[in-house]
Amino acid sequence: MTEPLISARNIKKYFDVGGGQLKAVDGISFDIYPKETFGLVGESGCGKSTAGRTIVRLYEPTGGELIFNGKNIYKLSRKEMQVVRRDFQIVFQDPYASLNPRMTVEDIVAEPLDIHQMYKTREERSERVIELLRLVGLGDEHVLRFPHEFSGGQRQRIGIARALALNPKFIVCDEPISALDVSIQAQVVNLLKDLQDRLGLTYMFIAHDLSMVRYISDRVGVMYLGHMMELAKSEELYANPLHPYTKALLSAIPIPDPGIQRNRRRIMLEGDVPSPINPKEGCRFVDRCSYAIDRCRKETPAFVEKGTNHFAACHII
Amino acid sequence: MENVLEVKDLKISFKTFFGEVEAVRGISFKVGKEETIAIVGESGCGKSVTASGIMQLLPMPPAFFKGGEIIFNGENLLNKKEKEMQAIRGNKISMVFQDPMTSLNPTMKIGKQIVEGLVKHHKMSAEDAHKKAIEMLELVAVPQPGKRINQYPHEFSGGMRQRVMIALAMVCNPQLLIADEPTTALDVTVQAQILELMKKLQEQLEMSIILITHDLGIVADMSDRVIVMYAGQIVETGLTEEIFASPKHPYTRKLLASVPRLDMNKDEPLYSIDGTPPDLYIPPKGCSFYDRCTEAMKICKDHVPDLNEHNDTHLSRCWLNHPMAQKVYSMDGGEK
Repeated sequence: MTEPLISARNIKKYFDVGGGQLKAVDGISFDIYPKETFGLVGESGCGKSTAGRTIVRLYEPTGGELIFNGKNIYKLSRKEMQVVRRDFQIVFQDPYASLNPRMTVEDIVAEPLDIHQMYKTREERSERVIELLRLVGLGDEHVLRFPHEFSGGQRQRIGIARALALNPKFIVCDEPISALDVSIQAQVVNLLKDLQDRLGLTYMFIAHDLSMVRYISDRVGVMYLGHMMELAKSEELYANPLHPYTKALLSAIPIPDPGIQRNRRRIMLEGDVPSPINPKEGCRFVDRCSYAIDRCRKETPAFVEKGTNHFAACHII
Repeated sequence: MENVLEVKDLKISFKTFFGEVEAVRGISFKVGKEETIAIVGESGCGKSVTASGIMQLLPMPPAFFKGGEIIFNGENLLNKKEKEMQAIRGNKISMVFQDPMTSLNPTMKIGKQIVEGLVKHHKMSAEDAHKKAIEMLELVAVPQPGKRINQYPHEFSGGMRQRVMIALAMVCNPQLLIADEPTTALDVTVQAQILELMKKLQEQLEMSIILITHDLGIVADMSDRVIVMYAGQIVETGLTEEIFASPKHPYTRKLLASVPRLDMNKDEPLYSIDGTPPDLYIPPKGCSFYDRCTEAMKICKDHVPDLNEHNDTHLSRCWLNHPMAQKVYSMDGGEK
């Protein structure tokens, strides 16, 4: 078995809020292997974006370890971290908010190069920018334009070009397609897949669109209120979900076929995701779970292997 | 079937600094009693402008009606004065907006917002209004309605706020509900709850629904008939089964093919429609889908196709479906 590129161990991120602590990510562990895509799904507020940002250390973690190249990067100093950052990049959700409207495309894409002093002459800088833009399907005619001149899909391409500028090994894609139209989503996903093949990238793909996650990911983790609920190979997870939450989540996806959709039995979840501020001991899903037993309220289920490479945190499985 | 609403050749444009944007370019459709019509299309295709246009909620100027009629219960809404529209809006026709976070008034208690329409339209007493507000929250399954009516919107979650929006829209028993992307901002599990709720209420209150969405899964779940819009025009319309089983317009086919499905093959690239919709400052002379269409012919560039009938319910706007087209169907670049 290959060595994982990234090993996350018991990662925690708490935020201090008025009423106590908001436990956005509360002890999640997983490995990501080189050149694979690790999908992370869950409802809004479940902590998936916080997890992504904590992993690249955009948020300072509350606890846990992140092993990359044999080193725990959470222990590195600011200066050492800057070197590691070249290997870690992130593509953000909102292509309208993540590009500075007052900078040209050239300056946006070249900003990481400027910070890390990756060029000697101005020619070298603009050559690299054009190379990057071509890589994501834009051209040299776009170099001097501003973000407002582009459509959502094109802006997301600019964001991807910026993330690729430093030849990273690992990219966190934080809902990169959820602000885009279906027909444009496919363009961006195809681009991400193509870049992965050509540049040997490793992705962590965060999304709430479960069908897209199944398509792009090799393995998928399901989060709920800061805990990892289930983790398996994507085919396995979708064909054979073990956790009641995963089952409910999968059955809620509307299928674009009137014949199937109208005759399907759905598992209806009651209510919303509860507040992650000062959560109680026990399974986080207990209040919405129809299989809950007494033990679920008292004891947090351990995240253990239930089948080959199929992990879940539930007492009743 | 009796028609609640009939839109005839509706044209809506916006005056801007750069010129006129023709957002809606001559659309016609009917909504029957207790029927659910879905309007689908990409952002910018004019579906929300159509909805706000029916309600006359567009800011005028810059927006203006360039032509057409909106017949509701036999009367043309475009001839109504603002005062008369106010008696219809929220009373006979209601609207649920996309974003439950911004469409409620943050400074007003939920209960008061729900009955605001009733007090205005039906001169209801404060006591009755209070009772009605609790009843409405019960109807949309908000727990503890007695306590909840005295809370402010920020104390509600997204799903609960959307329920409040629906309660607010339903309170006057409207004949027609326009739901503009009612679940886009919500999670799938909550979306499923809201859609079930809308179906249940539709049956109870016997209303018609215009559902605007870009999610074809929701369309398959909810609607009786589908209207596919592209660049301000209807490119295809038909019964939901017809649209999904035998789409006639290349755009509809491509749209259906690009929806991510749970059973798709991971080794094949996703189907994507290249390019972007045309700029409506200068609407294309011919078919608006010409630039992105893989089946485009010479005629498509300069001549706008008519809506061709396949049967009584199924129409599409494509030269390939023109009654005279069969003869040259297989000829590449064929000219009719």
